[in-house]
Amino acid sequence: MTIALPTRGRSSRRKKTGPAVRIGTWLVWLVVAADIGLLLWTFASSLRGSNAVLNHPFGLPTSPKIGNYAKALSDGGFGRAALNSIFVALASAALVVVVAAPCAYVLARRRTRTTSALTMMFVLGLGVPGQVLVIPLFVGLSKVNLTDSLYGLILVYVGLALPFTVYLLTGFFAGVPAVLEEAAVLDGAGPVQTFVKVIVPVARGGLITAFVFQVINGWNETLFAIVLLHSQDKITLPVAMVNFLATEQYSGQDWGVMFAGVCILLAPMLALFSWIGSRIIQGMTVGIGK
Amino acid sequence: MNALITESTRLRKVVGDSPRRGKRSQSPLERQHRRTFWPFAAPALILYTVLFLVPIGFAAYTSFYKWDGLSPMKDRGLNNYRILWRDPVFHTALTNTLEILIVGGVVTFALALALTMVLREMRHRLFARSVLFFPTLVNAMVFGILAGFLFSPSGPVNEVLHWLGVRTPPQWLSTDNLLPMVMGTLIWTATGFYTAIIMAGVDQIPQYLYEAAELDGCNAWQRFRNVTLPMAWDVISVCAVLWTVSTVNIFQLILVFGGTSAGGLPPSNSWNTAVYVYGEAFPQQGAPELGLATAAALVTLLLVAIVTVLLRRVLRRERIEY
Amino acid sequence: MVSTSKTSRRVLGIATAAALALGMAACSSTSTTAGSGGAKSGDSFTYWSMWNKTEPQAKVLQSAITAFTAQTGIKVDVTWAGRTVTKQIGPAVAAGDPPDLWDQNAGTVLSTLGSEGQALDLTPVLGMTVPGENVKVGSVIPAKYLTSQPKDSDGTSNYVIPYEVTAEGIFYNAADPNIKAAMPTPPTSWAQFISVCAALKSKSEPCIASEGEDSWTNGLYLDYELLANGVNWSALAADRTGAAWDAPGVATAVNDMDQLVSGGYIVPTYTATKYPAQETNWANGRAGFYMDGSYVTAEVSKEIPATWRTGMILPPGVTQADAGTFGFSIPKKAKNISAAEQFIAFFMQKSQLAGISTVADNITSRPDIAAPPELAAVQQALSAPTLRVDFSNTIPSDYYNKVYNQNFLDFWHGKLTAAQFIAKMKSDQIAYWQTQG
Repeated sequence: MTIALPTRGRSSRRKKTGPAVRIGTWLVWLVVAADIGLLLWTFASSLRGSNAVLNHPFGLPTSPKIGNYAKALSDGGFGRAALNSIFVALASAALVVVVAAPCAYVLARRRTRTTSALTMMFVLGLGVPGQVLVIPLFVGLSKVNLTDSLYGLILVYVGLALPFTVYLLTGFFAGVPAVLEEAAVLDGAGPVQTFVKVIVPVARGGLITAFVFQVINGWNETLFAIVLLHSQDKITLPVAMVNFLATEQYSGQDWGVMFAGVCILLAPMLALFSWIGSRIIQGMTVGIGK
Repeated sequence: MNALITESTRLRKVVGDSPRRGKRSQSPLERQHRRTFWPFAAPALILYTVLFLVPIGFAAYTSFYKWDGLSPMKDRGLNNYRILWRDPVFHTALTNTLEILIVGGVVTFALALALTMVLREMRHRLFARSVLFFPTLVNAMVFGILAGFLFSPSGPVNEVLHWLGVRTPPQWLSTDNLLPMVMGTLIWTATGFYTAIIMAGVDQIPQYLYEAAELDGCNAWQRFRNVTLPMAWDVISVCAVLWTVSTVNIFQLILVFGGTSAGGLPPSNSWNTAVYVYGEAFPQQGAPELGLATAAALVTLLLVAIVTVLLRRVLRRERIEY
Repeated sequence: MVSTSKTSRRVLGIATAAALALGMAACSSTSTTAGSGGAKSGDSFTYWSMWNKTEPQAKVLQSAITAFTAQTGIKVDVTWAGRTVTKQIGPAVAAGDPPDLWDQNAGTVLSTLGSEGQALDLTPVLGMTVPGENVKVGSVIPAKYLTSQPKDSDGTSNYVIPYEVTAEGIFYNAADPNIKAAMPTPPTSWAQFISVCAALKSKSEPCIASEGEDSWTNGLYLDYELLANGVNWSALAADRTGAAWDAPGVATAVNDMDQLVSGGYIVPTYTATKYPAQETNWANGRAGFYMDGSYVTAEVSKEIPATWRTGMILPPGVTQADAGTFGFSIPKKAKNISAAEQFIAFFMQKSQLAGISTVADNITSRPDIAAPPELAAVQQALSAPTLRVDFSNTIPSDYYNKVYNQNFLDFWHGKLTAAQFIAKMKSDQIAYWQTQG
């Protein structure tokens, strides 16, 4: 057995902690407090008036303006945009995992010149700046009528996410002991069956991690969304945000509403993370690099 | 890169075979892997080719042309590369890219490793880890908005410094400090991310190793040095590669910190190559220079490939079994 | 490694071949020219607007669209795209599927479509009759708004029909008692302007609010000062030898500006803030003057006190204002050109266009529509017989980013003296033009 199942138990009492570790612990809590403080301040600002935010950025809301959220959702178009973002992020993440997983699995299992070259090809894709893909992808998508379409954007995100997802999952699958498969094959299971029934459950942590990473990326991606989408009912949240920010020039800005927009941008990430966060963090690298 | 997987002695053991061995001695499992290779790999390869490789190939092709995206392309031969060779702004951009890569990388990984040392042993570590990870999830635009308030001359950061007795705080938002600020934000967000990944690897280290180390009288540093570091080495080296390929492409962060509201670029001393590419491909005024943009991107890609190979050389070693 | 690089080269080769086919197809798609027979009821056209749905300009345009459809039966498929339309228009044209109508400031239209020969020449629209007014479009819109624009690659400056006009100048609160005392009449020389600054400083009101990171608004001082000293900025930038920087006019202009920096007349925190921090300071009376386009009044309208009265002066020594126009453009590849053209003419009606002034608080392109009261001074400046466009439209964008931006900011932040700035611009400019081959 090569992956020794680690003993998860951890003695909760430590006998001796050096001064360095104690200072380190303090620092960690300091940063944690700063992070949380920043979030709380953003939330507080989202309930204040524009002039109050500009002139006294660090006051508390005197009379909370819930209206900022209503304004952001309707006027800023953040409501519709948030729905689009959720759809795009979830769909592209699901699709990329479904497509990348079998490929990563066979790349991890077979080691020939071809697979080496293919793996290398995916890895180098990680280093390509997306900006150079914008025009070619736009022209290509327009040929099949997929510009200004959420489906087109999802396709683009799948393409952009493939290198990272394949790379990540290859690591995970390499960590899955082959004995499990051998048993299944000897029992007469077909390749698809082996993969779905044996490998996927074991590598679940990796698949979830890959999924969540792409949800995050899809949620925050801005450049392609700006270029590919223009209809008001199709834009995603970062585009709505960019447009909203841009009205500062020529029209002036309501900063309270803008902070409400920021909160709308952050909230799903916060929710997703508090729901599944510790699991990602624990399962993140069951196989990475192993 | 694949060497990462193929080198693993463990993998060699599980797969139980070397590619040079004759076909005859293949196990049923291996036969199955061979037969299913193309069907399993095809969907990803096709999508990757259509959505990634073809556009890149097209982009690479345009690097030999002058093209604005609309008019017919004009053959330029190697001139785009010649311009980059001579352009002092591109040289600055390359230097900055390397600086972010190396300085930022060293600091991030030093912090991340220090954090794993601390986090492994502290209370409520999962909560702390989650909070430290959170900035990774935040759109760079948000940092740009917040920084304008946080670091303004009368902002809270300076108020805290004033309270601590600092009378002439740095001009955080001045154009001189642009790159350090970008790097600081990057380090802040990336540390949480890489700490999380490395910690997940550290979590897999069997507890008895630590107990044995403690019985031998190792202090926290020694436990880290002799147990954590060697055991988590693979994860760390994967992270180093991830850092390399991903930080080369950051540009949104630099734009939100240094760009103007009207979409202007930050001053050229703070560009990295990704900003250079962006500036040429999406100029605020004037026609895009897509050929020059892709040429710059390809030069950067070459740089990434070299750094990645070097990194892998440096970080390579026999893995430890446990 | 060796085998890998060989493989990836092969893969790249295949990809290139495939992409070639794709690219060639993109290039060969021909532009469709719509028949000029005039659109009729039942037709429709698409319009991508630079305004967000909630901005006042969008409200004015929307009511015009409603009226237009009611009168002509032509449907307008409008998208309130916001400012990102600038990034969307190029790819849309490249893909051969642009909107039939869009709007932006003229400089942006020129750089995104005009300089690539993709903006339709709208001269025919100038000859169309404004509905219900029995006059031509070209006779209600002063020609100077069009002729002041740089020409596009087809040699015309009629690629935009403007509906909103702005001017760049130094804005201030005319009701500010300190300014009233320091500046009874607009300064006529730079020395007088500096003494106004000194008078304000003595009342501990910083003279100038400036967003330190912005080389455009602050660069307008240089733009105007070069003009005042007889230097042509775009010719200066285009000089491959750099010798143009040795002209005495350049030194005078740069030295004038240096007085603002070294005299300490700029808000002390200006190098350490981000937009809109200093605009906010200015709107709240914490500084006297602010250089920007005339839309600044709309930007700060929610912040200024009730007593505020906007004033504007041009930097002393210049009579020509930098003018900016916002207007309609039609891509050459548009499919419903005549319907879009008809809408442009429709919007030029006094009754429709007036909303830009009364609702959106900006100056319209028709001089017979009164400007909003707070912009009277701007309309005055715009009534000059000739106008010009600011330097960002006339110096190359790449030059702006690679040569001008960094050096100017260093100078504006006091890190380069006037002489050092001139020397640095000269040497960087020589290097820049050498890279351009």
